[in-house]
Amino acid sequence: MSRPAPTDRRATRGDEPLLSVRDLRTVFYTDKETIHAVDGISFDIYPGETVGLVGESGSGKSVTARSILGLVDEPGAIENGEIRFKNTELVKEGWDDRRGEIAIIFQDPSNALNPVYTIGNQIREALNIHQGLTGAAARERAIELLEAVGIPDAPRRVDEYPHQFSGGMAQRAVIAISLACDPDLLVCDEPTTALDVTIQAQILDLLTDLQQKEDLAILFITHDMGVIEETADRVNVIYAGEIVESAPTELLFSDPEHPYTTALLESIPGRTPPDEQLPTIEGEVPTPNGPSEACRFAPRCPLAVDECREKVPDTVSVDDRVEHSAACIFAGEEYGNRGEEL
Amino acid sequence: MSRLTYLFKRVLMTIPVIWLGTTITWAAIYMGPIDPASRLLSQGQTRNPAAYEAAQTQLGLDQQPLEHYLDWMTSLVTFDLGQTWLLYEGSNVNSLILDFLPRTLLLGFWSVVIAILIGVPLGFYAGLHSNTMSDYFASFGGIVWRAMPNFWLAIMLLAVLSISPQVFGFQLNWETLFIEIDSISGSPDMSRIWTVDGFLEATKKVLPAAVVLGSASMGNEMRIGRTAMLEVRNEKYIDFARAKGVSDRALVWKHIFRNALIPLIPIITSEAFLLIGGSVLVETVFGINGVGWLFYQAAIQGDLPLVGTLMYIFILITVGINLAQDMLYTIIDPRVGLEGS
Amino acid sequence: MSDAMSRRERVVGLTSNLDTTLSAWFAVGVVLFLLQAGAVGTFFTGLIADFVGILPTADASGSLLASVTELFESLQRQSRSVPTLLSRDVVPNGGYWNGEEWVGTFLGLSPAVSWAIRVGLVYLYSLTWVAWAVFGYRYYRREIRVADWTPRDDMIDRFLSHKWGLFGAAIVFFFVVMAVFAPTLGPTTVEQNMRNSYAFEISYWNDQTQTVEQILVGEANLNSQSRGDLSRVMPMTYDEYGRFHPFGTMPNGRDLFTFIAAGSRISLVIGLLSVGVSALLAVSLALVAAYYKGRVDLGTVLISDGVMAMPQLLLLILLTTVLSESWVGNVYSGGFVLALIFAFTGWTYMWRSIRGPALQVSERAWIDAARSFGQRPRTIMRKHMLPYIIGYVLVYGSMTLGGAIIAISGLSFLGLGIAPPTPEWGRAINLGQDYVDTGSWHISLIPGALITLVVTGFNALGDGIRDAVDPQSDSESAAAGRGGGA
Repeated sequence: MSRPAPTDRRATRGDEPLLSVRDLRTVFYTDKETIHAVDGISFDIYPGETVGLVGESGSGKSVTARSILGLVDEPGAIENGEIRFKNTELVKEGWDDRRGEIAIIFQDPSNALNPVYTIGNQIREALNIHQGLTGAAARERAIELLEAVGIPDAPRRVDEYPHQFSGGMAQRAVIAISLACDPDLLVCDEPTTALDVTIQAQILDLLTDLQQKEDLAILFITHDMGVIEETADRVNVIYAGEIVESAPTELLFSDPEHPYTTALLESIPGRTPPDEQLPTIEGEVPTPNGPSEACRFAPRCPLAVDECREKVPDTVSVDDRVEHSAACIFAGEEYGNRGEEL
Repeated sequence: MSRLTYLFKRVLMTIPVIWLGTTITWAAIYMGPIDPASRLLSQGQTRNPAAYEAAQTQLGLDQQPLEHYLDWMTSLVTFDLGQTWLLYEGSNVNSLILDFLPRTLLLGFWSVVIAILIGVPLGFYAGLHSNTMSDYFASFGGIVWRAMPNFWLAIMLLAVLSISPQVFGFQLNWETLFIEIDSISGSPDMSRIWTVDGFLEATKKVLPAAVVLGSASMGNEMRIGRTAMLEVRNEKYIDFARAKGVSDRALVWKHIFRNALIPLIPIITSEAFLLIGGSVLVETVFGINGVGWLFYQAAIQGDLPLVGTLMYIFILITVGINLAQDMLYTIIDPRVGLEGS
Repeated sequence: MSDAMSRRERVVGLTSNLDTTLSAWFAVGVVLFLLQAGAVGTFFTGLIADFVGILPTADASGSLLASVTELFESLQRQSRSVPTLLSRDVVPNGGYWNGEEWVGTFLGLSPAVSWAIRVGLVYLYSLTWVAWAVFGYRYYRREIRVADWTPRDDMIDRFLSHKWGLFGAAIVFFFVVMAVFAPTLGPTTVEQNMRNSYAFEISYWNDQTQTVEQILVGEANLNSQSRGDLSRVMPMTYDEYGRFHPFGTMPNGRDLFTFIAAGSRISLVIGLLSVGVSALLAVSLALVAAYYKGRVDLGTVLISDGVMAMPQLLLLILLTTVLSESWVGNVYSGGFVLALIFAFTGWTYMWRSIRGPALQVSERAWIDAARSFGQRPRTIMRKHMLPYIIGYVLVYGSMTLGGAIIAISGLSFLGLGIAPPTPEWGRAINLGQDYVDTGSWHISLIPGALITLVVTGFNALGDGIRDAVDPQSDSESAAAGRGGGA
C-alpha cells in the first residue's frame, strides 16, 4: 500500500491483470421488482496493487465483493458479465478451482468466525484444504500465522473460541485464516468499520505489512474516503451499482471529474475551512430497480441539466495515460467552465 | 464463570424448583377442598368413624399441617413412598413405580428418538432447500401434524392399523409385519427387554404410540430445524468458510449442522413436558400400563396420596431432563456459561 | 392569499363530508347491532344469571343473590322475546314432509337448504361487521388521524401481506363466528336435542302409514344412532324423521353439528378466559421482573420453573379432580375453574416468551430518562414498556388459545373438565372412539379434524402477528400451541 508512484506501478508491471471484471451485473429478484445491485461495472486489479472501491451504503459495494467471491445466493444471481481471475473465467467455470486464492475479510469479524469451533480449528481447516497440513504441523503453522498477524500469546489463544476474542483480535484472526489459504487477492469489505479508531489504524498497518510480505493484491471496499486516501493505489467510485469514476488515488483526490466524487470529497471533515458548515449530499442512493435510463446521480446532482435526465452518460476517458475515466457528460471539461454555464 | 461452575449453579437451582413443585402438590392435595381420607374410603366406610380415623392416622392428617408437610417432604426425599390405597390396594408404591415406569420410559425414549430422527432431518432438508415445493410440503405438513391432538391421532392410527389397509397392493397387517405381536395395542412385555427379540417385540408394541406421542415434537423440531438452518446458512461465517474453500459437504456437516443444532436443544427437551403430559392420553388410548396411565387412574379413582407421589416422580423427571439439556448445551455451544446465564 | 383561502375551504368541505361519512358509518353499525341486540342481551343476562346462581348461598330463597339471579333470569326472558334477524324462527329448518311438500321450513324449502341459508346469512352478517370495521379503520387512517404514518401502520400492512397469517385469521374468524352464533347455526338446539330431549315432540312423515305422526325427540334420537355399519346417519344426510344432519349423528342419536357448534362456544370462552388471565399474570410479572431485575427476576424465574416442573396436563388433571366438588367447580359446567387452572399453570410459557422482549425494552434509554425525572415505576411500566411487549402477548396469546383448545378437549376426552351433557369436542371424539374403524367413522374424525384446523388457524394467526410485530424475530414458540401435550 505504499504509494510512491501509482501510475508507474501499472506501467512497470505491464503484465496481465490479476483480476479483471467486465460488465458485471448482479441482480436480486424480489416479489415486486428486480434490483440491479451491481449494474455493469468493470475494473482491473493488477498483482500487488491496492484498488479501492468507495461509495455510500447501498451503492453495491458489498455485492461486488460477494460477486467476485461467488457468494451471491438466492434470490440474487450474477446475470451478466465476466470475472476473469488468473485466466479462469469464474462466472462460467465456477469458483471451486480457485477457492482460497481470493480471500475475503468482512466488516464484522465476530460474524465471520464460526462460534462453535476454536480459532485454531478454523485456521487448520484452511491449512488442510490449501496446504495439505494436518496434525501437529498444522497447529504449529496456525500458531505462526496468529503470531504473524500480531496476536500475542498465540500458543494459548489458538485453542480459544471466537467469543473470547475482542473485535480487533478477532479481525486479526480472520486475517490469519485468510492467509492460511495463501491468497493472491484479498477482498477487504469494510474491514475496519466495526472497530475502534485506534484498532482501525493497527489493522490497516497490518494489512500494509502483509501486502508487502506476501505480495498480495487488495480490493479495499469502504465508504471512508480518508481510509481510501491512505491505502489505495487506484480508486473506483461506485454509485447505485455503477462505477462513476476511476482514477489513481492522488488524481482522484486532487482533480475529481464526477460531481459525485466532488461531493464525497467535500463531505470529508477537515477538507473544508473549519468555520464553514460541512457540505452534505442531500437525499439517498436510489434503489436501482431497473435498467439504467438516465444518470442515476442526476436527482442529487447540483450540475444536472436536462440531458442528464434523458440519457445514460457514457464513461469517458479523461486521461488515457493514467486510466482516469468518469461517467458524466461534463467529464473532461474544466470546472470553471461548468460553473459559468450554470 | 467456567462451564463447571455454570453446571453446578444449574444443579443448585433445581433444589428450590423441586421444593416449589412438591409444595404446590402437597397444598393442592392435603390443603385443598377435598378430604383425601374420605376419598379413599367407600361410601359405607366413610360413615364408619373407626375406619375414617384409621385412614386419617395412616395419612398423618391428624397432625398439625406443618408437621404433616415436613413428614411428607421427608418421606419423598428419602423415597419412603408408602403404600397404595385404592389402586392395587396395599402394594408398595416404590415397587409399583419400578414396575410401571420402564414402560413409560421405553415409550418416551422411542417417541423422542422417532421425533428427532424424522423431524430434524426433514426440517434441515426444508431449510437447505427453502422455498421449493418440497419445502412448502414439509413445512405445511409439519404445522398440521403438530396441531393434531395426540389422543385423536392415536385413535385414528389404531383404526388404520386394525383395518389392515391395502398399501401398494399389499395387505398391510401390522400385527404380523416383520415381528409378530399378540395385539396392536396393550402393554409391552418388559420382562424380556434385555434380549434382542424381547426388545424388538416391545419396541414394535410401543411404536404406534411413540409415533403419536412424538407427533407434536416432530412438528416443532421440523419448524425450528428449518428456521435454524435458514438462519445459519445466511451467517457471514458460512460465507467466510465457503470463501476459504470448504467443500459443500463439509460446509453443511461441519459448519451449518452444529450451529443449527443449538436452537434445537431447548426444543427437544421442552418437548419432554409434552411427552409426560401426553403419555397420560396416549397410554390410555393404547392401553399401555405406564406411569401416565397410573396417574390418571389414581386421579379418577381418588387415590390422592398416590397422585401426589407420582407428581413428585414427574417433577424429578422434568428437572432431570432440564439438567440434561444444560449439559448438552455446554457440550455443543462453547459460549454457554460465559455470557452470564 | 388565495392558497390560504382554498385550503380553508377544503378543510371546511372536508369536515362536513367527514361528518356525513362518519355518521353514516356509525348508523350502519347501530343497525347491524340492532339486528342482533336480542341475542346479545340473552347471552349476557344468561351468563350473569348462571354465574350468580351458582355462588354459594344463592340457593337460600330470599337472599340477595337469589333475587339478583331472579332479576337476570327475567331480563333474559325479556331479551329472548326481542326479535333478531338470525334466529331459527326467521329461517326455520325444523319442518316435516306431509307427503307433498315441506311444512314449517323456510319458504317451504327442504330442511337442508333452509339450514344452509341460515348458515349463509350468519356468515354474511359477520362479514358485514368485518367490512364495517375495515372501512372504519381505513377511513380513520386516511381522513381523521392527523399523522399520516405511525409504526403501527407498518405492522398492519405487514400482516395484510402475510398470506399464512391471513389464512389463520380466516380460520379463526370462521371458528369465532361458529362459537358466537352456536345456537343459531345448529340444525337443532342443545335444549331440544340433548338436555331435555323427552320434553319435545316433533312431527314426521311416516313412509309406511303415509301419514304425519308425532314422536318425542328422545325416541327419535334412539332410532337415529350411529353405531357401526348398519345403523348410522352419515354427514349431509337425513334421518328417518326428516331431520337434516350436516355432520351426521352421534352414537346416542344426537346431532353432531349442534354438539360441535355448542362445543366451540365453550372452547372459545374457556380459551379466551384462560389466555386473558394468564396474559395478565405473565405481563405483570414480566414487567415487574424486567423493571426491577436482579432478585425479583430470579424469584420469578424460580416460581415459573417450579410451576413448569409439573407437567401442565398432569397438573390440570390433579387440580380438576381436587376442585371438582367445590362450588367453583360447577360454574359454567366446570369450564370456569378449568380456565382458571389453565391460566395458573400456563402463564409460565407466555411469561418465558415475553421476558426477553421485556428485558430488552427495560434497557432502553427512555426508561432511564423517565426514571431520572422521577416518573413512578407503575407509570413507566404501563406507558413506556407495555406498548412494546403487547404485540408479543398477542402472538403467544393466539398460540396458547390453540393449545387451550387441545388441552380442554383432551381432558374431556378423559372424562374430566367440562361436565356432561354440556357439549365439548373431546367428548365427541371419545364417544366415537369405538366406531372409528366401522361405518360410523365420522363421529371421531370430524371433531378431531376441526380441532386440528382451528389450532392450525390460531398458530398461523400467531405466526402472522409475530412477523408483523417483529419481522426480524424467528423466535418459535414450541410449547405454546400444544396444550401440555394433549
